[in-house]
Amino acid sequence: MRARSAFFAGAGSVAILAIGWQAGVGTLLSSLPTSAPVASGPSASAGKAARTGTTGTTSNASSSPSTSAAAPMASAPMAMASGATDGTYNGQTINTRYGTIQVNAVIAGGKIADVVAVKLTDQGRQSVSISNQAAPMVRQEVLSAQSAKVSNIGGATYTTQGYLQSLQSALDAAGFTG
Amino acid sequence: MTTVDATRIKRQHTARLRRGDLLSTVVYFSVAIVLAIFLADGGAAYFTNIRDLATGVGIVTGLIGSDLLLVMLLLAARVPIIDRTFGHDTALAQHRKLGKPVLYLILAHMSLLLIGYGITSGFNPVAEALNMIATMEDMGLAFIGMALMIVVVVTSLIVVRKKLPYQFWYLVHLLSYGAVLAALPHQFSTGMMFADGTWARYYWMAFYVGTLAAIAIFRVILPVTLSFKHALVVSDVRVEAPGVVSITMTGRRLRELKGKGGQFINWRFWAPKLWWVSHPFSLSAAPDGKSLRITVRDLGDTSHRLLTIKPGTKVSFEGPYGIFSEAARTTTKAVFIGAGVGITPIRAMLEDPLLKVNDATVILRGTTAQEVFLWQETYDLCVAKHASLRVLVGKRPRGVATWLSAEAYSSGERLSTLAPDIKDSDVFICGPMQWTDLVVRDAKRAGVPDHQIHAERFEF
Repeated sequence: MRARSAFFAGAGSVAILAIGWQAGVGTLLSSLPTSAPVASGPSASAGKAARTGTTGTTSNASSSPSTSAAAPMASAPMAMASGATDGTYNGQTINTRYGTIQVNAVIAGGKIADVVAVKLTDQGRQSVSISNQAAPMVRQEVLSAQSAKVSNIGGATYTTQGYLQSLQSALDAAGFTG
Repeated sequence: MTTVDATRIKRQHTARLRRGDLLSTVVYFSVAIVLAIFLADGGAAYFTNIRDLATGVGIVTGLIGSDLLLVMLLLAARVPIIDRTFGHDTALAQHRKLGKPVLYLILAHMSLLLIGYGITSGFNPVAEALNMIATMEDMGLAFIGMALMIVVVVTSLIVVRKKLPYQFWYLVHLLSYGAVLAALPHQFSTGMMFADGTWARYYWMAFYVGTLAAIAIFRVILPVTLSFKHALVVSDVRVEAPGVVSITMTGRRLRELKGKGGQFINWRFWAPKLWWVSHPFSLSAAPDGKSLRITVRDLGDTSHRLLTIKPGTKVSFEGPYGIFSEAARTTTKAVFIGAGVGITPIRAMLEDPLLKVNDATVILRGTTAQEVFLWQETYDLCVAKHASLRVLVGKRPRGVATWLSAEAYSSGERLSTLAPDIKDSDVFICGPMQWTDLVVRDAKRAGVPDHQIHAERFEF
């Protein structure tokens, strides 16, 4: 290759990578948690916090904690003001490539008291074991944050997203505004 | 006249360099695009956490490995633009060079993902492999593809070291298509990079479909249609020397066949015990629109049956391929050095109308006078083109690594005395492997730049 062409090929490749990187930052930002699991989580989840932090700590570490730290603070004292009526609400069934997911939200005292997994991804033993491992972690995060907007569980993206989508629909049905 | 010619050659050379740079750039870009798609999908997240690191690197090696595997297939697919730019030999040399790295990338992909997924599910890598085969879509096939690929690369490396016969290698190499096809489903069903409705999925589908289409078109459909269209038949068989014959073939509409003196064609002669192997032979005369001619030496394998081939035998072909021809020219002067049957493509190149008078130096080698094949024709062409001609007959000197005859060597002849202008010339070399390597070595020592050296090697 002649020098000029080699330069062009190199510069072009870098440009393509930069575009990919930029698009990736967008993808990651959109999946960033709006709550800070480490700050608000009870001691039970502290050991697992490192695992849940996978997507949240990438390129935009500076912006995520500062904006999100306020969310759990605000939601805890204003629980009664969340507008939700107590009861158990069924979430929608969400289709993922590894099977369907459905969870129910239990609202008590205007707060998310529990999330019950009705159905988790079950296509193949691999995804069963991933689901079984990830679902309790997502539940813990949700209860701490009092929101369906928590960070992704690394290695279980489909489970996490399906779980949270189903939960959000249940919270919407409950009129829970966080 | 000379300046017109110089301009044509310079323009042709520049165009070829530019095409070469463009094609190389496309390869670099393809790797960059694959990585960019990975990053755009949020792939960077894998590298923020030690537990996901193995999975992340595993995905990246798989993506780059698949990309380069398709590049390998394209390099061997006889794509016209690749052949016209790099030449058949260089393209296949690149193909071979990529073989081992691609195997390593895909092996890394497999083992890293086994480790990465194993960490997530708490299994050791072996248990994880069994678990994946049992539970994930298309993984069994993917492991079969991996095994096939190892077989293909290992046999290729052994064949290169001459421990296995060519036909065996050929059959095993067909397995590589099996390897690619077996690995294909898991990339689309299990690989998250290829998820439904994403850009990545369409990019990869286009890449795969394009590559497989190129193979089907240029390796199968085009040769078959051209063979039917031209309907070649052996019209004449002439004995040139003991064990050497020239085979002339005629056919329909040969004027439309784009071929240049010095290029080679894979021939298949539809005669008993011959039809199942194809033989690569260079054209020994420039195509004249009416006939094609090759000159064949009995090399001890099935080629000895060609010596007794009957006129009227039907012939199918793939080609012409290669740029051991006028297409490779970079300067106005040319030096042709041939030995034995290696003289025959050089004879065909001398016939090319684009080769001007006074521009060529021809050096021929043979152990005996009879082994300077096509001597009379070559001599006549040299006279017609006012080429300076040297003939070196006799055995090589004992104990000296040289391509010259003992007599020429002891009388002080060297490449620089045989062809004084060699530094400014294109040097075309055709002969047996080791002999050719020695000529190339001497040409480099005489100061000929690499891009002016064009060598074609054959084996006994």
